[in-house]
Amino acid sequence: MRIGDFKANYVADEAVFKTPTVRFWMGILFAALLIFPFVAGNYWLYMANLVGVAIVAAVGLNILTGFAGQISLGHAAFVGIGAYTAAILTTRLEVPFFLCLPLSGLSAAVFGLIVGGPSMRMKGLYLCIATLAAQVIFEFIFVHWESMTGGIRGINLPAPSVLGISLDNEFKFYFVTLAVVVICVTATRNIFRSRVGRAFIAIRDRDISAELMGINLFHYKMYAFGISSFMAGVAGCLWVNFLRTVTPEHFPLIESIRYLAMIIVGGLGSVLGAIFGAIFMTLVPEILKNTLGLLVDAFPQAMGYLFPLQQIVFGLLIVVFLVFEPHGLAEMWRRLKDYFRLWPFEY
Amino acid sequence: MKHTRIFLALTMMLCLLGTTGNLLAEDVIKVGACQPITGRFAFAGKHLNAGLMDSLNYTNEQGGVGGKKFKYIYEDTGYDLKRAIASFKKIMAQEKPAMMYGESTGQGKALAPEINNRYKVLYGSTSFSEELSVREKNPYIFVSGPTYAQQFGVLLKYIAKNPKQKGVAPKVAFFYSDTEFGRDPIPFARKLAKELGIEVVAEEVTKVGAVDVTSQLLDLKRKKPDYCIFQGYVVSPIPEVISGAKDFGLDITFMGTFWAMSKMLLDKLGPDGEGYMGVSPYAYWYMDDVPMIKTVKAFNQKHHPEVTYRPNSYLQGWFTGMVFVKLAQICHEKGLPITGENLKNAIPQVQKWDTGGLAGLVSFGNTNATAMGKVYRAKAGKFVPVSDWIYLD
Repeated sequence: MRIGDFKANYVADEAVFKTPTVRFWMGILFAALLIFPFVAGNYWLYMANLVGVAIVAAVGLNILTGFAGQISLGHAAFVGIGAYTAAILTTRLEVPFFLCLPLSGLSAAVFGLIVGGPSMRMKGLYLCIATLAAQVIFEFIFVHWESMTGGIRGINLPAPSVLGISLDNEFKFYFVTLAVVVICVTATRNIFRSRVGRAFIAIRDRDISAELMGINLFHYKMYAFGISSFMAGVAGCLWVNFLRTVTPEHFPLIESIRYLAMIIVGGLGSVLGAIFGAIFMTLVPEILKNTLGLLVDAFPQAMGYLFPLQQIVFGLLIVVFLVFEPHGLAEMWRRLKDYFRLWPFEY
Repeated sequence: MKHTRIFLALTMMLCLLGTTGNLLAEDVIKVGACQPITGRFAFAGKHLNAGLMDSLNYTNEQGGVGGKKFKYIYEDTGYDLKRAIASFKKIMAQEKPAMMYGESTGQGKALAPEINNRYKVLYGSTSFSEELSVREKNPYIFVSGPTYAQQFGVLLKYIAKNPKQKGVAPKVAFFYSDTEFGRDPIPFARKLAKELGIEVVAEEVTKVGAVDVTSQLLDLKRKKPDYCIFQGYVVSPIPEVISGAKDFGLDITFMGTFWAMSKMLLDKLGPDGEGYMGVSPYAYWYMDDVPMIKTVKAFNQKHHPEVTYRPNSYLQGWFTGMVFVKLAQICHEKGLPITGENLKNAIPQVQKWDTGGLAGLVSFGNTNATAMGKVYRAKAGKFVPVSDWIYLD
């Protein structure tokens, strides 16, 4: 049981890890994340890397959509821009992986700013359609700028290397993914302890009052687009270096919608929510498949029904979660924590 | 002393366990598969899966290879690249099969470096992509049929031999989707058409499933090709184009490659389908005079009596199973263990292999693809062969 959570100054109030209990559990989590690759097999490490990439992208989208309230249907395209930038820089200029990461982010951010431009005049559904246009345009460019993107065949690239170590398997790549996820999540968490983050929230809650408070709407919306697509770009760079291939078919509109689903299921406007959403959307279909796979082994005749069932179950799960907790998995987690805060003395 | 005994006993037990483990492991030949049983490709995926599974089970009924039975392990991928790779890695980690089957071109391309350098596993797939069939680059990967480029080659060869007007160079149009699937064979087809003296008068590119094809039809009307070859579609917009061409009164023979050569498409086309042509690397379910089709039908009669028809994707799965078995047989005949490495080396040794008429004589020549096919024409809802097996050199 936790008692005496008393804050005597603003610094303590704004601390990221507020109590010793939180610090203790975060320590355990990190230790677990570091031990994980040594006990997990290739398959789970692969999934962990996928989750990591999804977390970086989802956290990025949550900054834009969850915190600043600007809906984007083009997030996958920005991930794609990052991926292509990384692939082109690696194959043509042999830029080392560690430089590629920020450069891919920057290139996606530049395009993010361009796409974000109309947000000055558009809101809500209209902006949504503008970003949808961006998705379509970039997809078109990936396919048709053949001299640069390799057209539909895409680009294959060699395994990245860091400090002379070739990151040619899931195990080695895991540590890079983990590091990038930690950096991105920490940075995002800190943005929302600053003026910029609070400005985002103010814009989301009511843009007119935000403007009255002296927040330059255009300025901060641009920030939101820039930061969000920067993270998308970084996620793209991770993705392409992990899979070592990129084709336009990796970044369809449905992928953008999947990212939106991640932050909605996880919890809009919550860093933790984006993380939960990314984990949920990546792992649950796999878990469902593995469970149903066992059933299929037992009843091979029912295969034709069991496999499609997983998609129905997955869809139902999303709906059920949202009906019972519209604020997403992050809110569920908060309530669970509250329950255990005083456990076992509830009153 | 006591301890030594116990230690010895334990060691012996471990040794025994070790050997039985080995025996068990070598008793079966494992084939792993990532199958698109759900998702966009499910219409074919479930049949591919059934075909591959039945083919291996059929071999098991016949006694397997060298007394060893095949064990088929499959997972559904939902036709999602990330999940397909996950399935691949999971099966490889858990079962360590010597043969794998993949769900898409994308999966093959993404995994190619790892297949070649890390897993060293024989890899077949649903794909007819040219890139995957290049032996120098991807020695472990084979294509269970001709690549799309080779399918175009068969069609163009046929067209060159059968021009609409004797003595006049035939004119063709390519009608393809703006996807990898659509564009894959086009550069090769342009080159080959030139060599064969065929004029490519038009190239129409659309999105998949696009229904408004008016501008493409008008272009076809202007350019007047004799033949128009579809690539990169499964059904839509082929029916729209064919019925539209009829409305415009165009005299064009439409043709398709493997995925556009299904009963599904013919059913959709209805009476418009009469005279539709195309290339397929396999025989069809209703060709009762083909020995292997008889075998397939007998097997289905025995195990799936409810089945009345199996589409060409089922036969593709069955054929892939036959290739797996053939390669295992080559290894067995040479007394080599069935490993990815040995299976890979066996691919080029498949020469003029008789598949009981399911395909022509199969040779993996310069590429890991079969480079042959037969041209069919639709008649009363069925495909009827109009050529013998056409082989490309």
